Amino acid sequence: MNFFSQFFTLLKKEFIIEFRQRYAISGIVLYVFSMVFVVYVASISIKGQAQVWNILFWLIVLFAGINAVVKSFVQESGARQLYYYQLVDPSTLVLAKVTYNTLLLLVLNLLAYGTFSLVAGNPVKDLGLFALVILLGSIGFAIAFTFISSIAAKANNSATLVAILSFPVILPILLTLLRLSSIALRVIQDTAFQKDIINLLAIDGILIALTFVLFPYIWRD
Amino acid sequence: MWWKTTSVLILIYVIIAGIGVPLKPGIDRVAPLSSKAGQSIELQVFGYNSTFSETASEKIRVWLEFDSLHAIQSGKVDVKNDTTLLASFQIPARLPQNKQSVLLNVIVDHPTNGVSLLPAALEVLADTAVNTDAGNWNEHPISQLHVIKDFSYPYRNVIYETIRNTYFHVPMWFALMFMFIASVYYSIQYLRNPVAENDRRAVAFTETGLLFGFLGLVTGMLWAHYAWGKAWSNDIKQLMTAVALLVYLAYFILRASFDEPEKGARLAAVYNIFAFSSLVPLLYIIPRMFASLHPGATGNPAFGSEDLDNTMRLVFYPSIIGFTMLGVWMAQIRYRSLRLRDRLADID
Repeated sequence: MNFFSQFFTLLKKEFIIEFRQRYAISGIVLYVFSMVFVVYVASISIKGQAQVWNILFWLIVLFAGINAVVKSFVQESGARQLYYYQLVDPSTLVLAKVTYNTLLLLVLNLLAYGTFSLVAGNPVKDLGLFALVILLGSIGFAIAFTFISSIAAKANNSATLVAILSFPVILPILLTLLRLSSIALRVIQDTAFQKDIINLLAIDGILIALTFVLFPYIWRD
Repeated sequence: MWWKTTSVLILIYVIIAGIGVPLKPGIDRVAPLSSKAGQSIELQVFGYNSTFSETASEKIRVWLEFDSLHAIQSGKVDVKNDTTLLASFQIPARLPQNKQSVLLNVIVDHPTNGVSLLPAALEVLADTAVNTDAGNWNEHPISQLHVIKDFSYPYRNVIYETIRNTYFHVPMWFALMFMFIASVYYSIQYLRNPVAENDRRAVAFTETGLLFGFLGLVTGMLWAHYAWGKAWSNDIKQLMTAVALLVYLAYFILRASFDEPEKGARLAAVYNIFAFSSLVPLLYIIPRMFASLHPGATGNPAFGSEDLDNTMRLVFYPSIIGFTMLGVWMAQIRYRSLRLRDRLADID
């Protein structure tokens, strides 16, 4: 099989697995909803400040993202991993996972945006830029979390490990996202935000290149 | 081994020269702090490390400078003692700029102490009531300054004697970078050729690098305590450094959470490459995107060429070399102890 047919088969497989185990995706969606409400109720007294909205939104996205992606390697048994190992190229497999997780995070983030705007108001002034920030954020988080969860899935206590391994690494992405989305919310004025977008794309590029090169070493058991 | 002895000798030199060499004379402060246009004032200048009374007071010249075209020279200079002198000025009636007030630099030129400057030392307020044009801002331009070239460190306001920390704080980060580069090199080697030796070297270099990171953070906090007023002021560089150290602490947690050492070594090697690629944005890219108290932040190199003079270079560069060699030595000892531990446990 060539790269593309492998890639699309693996991508299709991700969707099928998700569809079969509907409780997992429902759980994540419910997690997003609960978190939105908890965050809203906890921050009710500082309502109306756009920057607070911004920070809380990205924290919701961060925690929802980590929970959604961490299952991507943990949910598949060792035997099935071995089966893939004989059939497909590891780099193709990880690219399919990253693509799937990007789409998943994009949907979850839009969902989080929708519900959070419903309860906490919608201070976004530049919707186009904000949508772009959400897309870039989904890509960055998906790559970083997929890579880290593939390492952590091999270890004994993977949930703690994902958090301690990924949070420091995710920080450059998170800071740039916060900056860009403050611009979209008109909290800060900056016309040269293209530079931040390029920074973000550069970080994403480095992360995906590292994932592509290093995943074969993680996978092999 | 010759290089171990060399590193110790270099570091002894760095410690002796770094602590022992005096600062150049400078101006600590002046009094009063403000004056009015058209007035004549007696400006008290307090020197630091200075020997004002070494020469006759006629040879000491004092200026109030606005810019290279606008400066006034003092009339009479009266030396009280080595660190205090009185200079009388007749401030012109009009300010060099049409503003409410201007800030003037004080420049003292001394035949043996050399020239010293205190920036923005005296504020002169405009006097709107006076309508004369008495006085001239460029009657006695600054000229024939005595530049003394000797083995001493520059005097800088705000940091004063803590300038010596340059030889200990900054080389820590150079050494850390060299240690982490070596560690990443051995991690890549381990992935290409999985023998325990490569893994042990990677671990030894990461541990040494992390030690330099903590020492760099502590020396930085000590410096910040004196120069910025607080040991920890949530400066972006402090924050990102703390995060970078967390990244490397997680490396050891990851290693320890595997039952099979080989699997742990392989995944730790992968994570080490990943961690190194996040170290570069954390230490060198993000700090430039935000305002920082650090010298030369926000857009410039973290350490500008204007921060060092030739005397400082003679101590600073050896210090980097000395600490890096010491780090390699420490990593080598750590590597040997790891190998012995493995041999005792019959792993290797």
